[in-house]
Amino acid sequence: MEETTKKGDMVKLISAEGFEFVIDKKAAMVSQTIRNMLTSPGGFAETQHGEVTFPEISTHILEKICQYFYWSLQYASGKETEFHIEPEITLELMMAANYLHC
Amino acid sequence: MAMYIRVKRDKTTYFVQCDPTETTLDIKQKLLVLIDQPTDNQCLTLASSSETLDDSKTLAEQKIENDAVVALTLRKDDGEFEEVYIARPEDFTSYS
Repeated sequence: MEETTKKGDMVKLISAEGFEFVIDKKAAMVSQTIRNMLTSPGGFAETQHGEVTFPEISTHILEKICQYFYWSLQYASGKETEFHIEPEITLELMMAANYLHC
Repeated sequence: MAMYIRVKRDKTTYFVQCDPTETTLDIKQKLLVLIDQPTDNQCLTLASSSETLDDSKTLAEQKIENDAVVALTLRKDDGEFEEVYIARPEDFTSYS
């Protein structure tokens, strides 16, 4: 994977409480929903600014999802580790994952 | 991708891809691109131990592992660094 950090390669995901997570576009694209938003030619505002707001996803769930994106890339590249999910967030995390198609 | 760290300041978290052999300065150079602040004006602190990271040391030497949380502070106008501040979601109302 390309290691150099470039601003255009990053996207910002914003949670319900207004917390911002700046992650690699490649990681965000693990989510089919975000991929569609960022790559559709129709001109989602998200495509231009590289910012996606999720008013229905709370901060700790969105952070867990970002961690999952990176875990998923690492797993795909052969680093097989467990992804730990705290039991108390399982339901909320599943609902967000369902929405994000990841 | 070897690993990533989570660099936090206020309400923002930067997921930064890195390698255990990279130095703290390498990380600051990556942050420079994202936040437009020269590396001299950045200070990184490991959240779990509150230890300030040394520019010339590698991540491995400073026991920084995958998914580690690192606090970012910036130099203020008076030349001093601000206090570490990472906002907590509990302190903000969710509208969901």
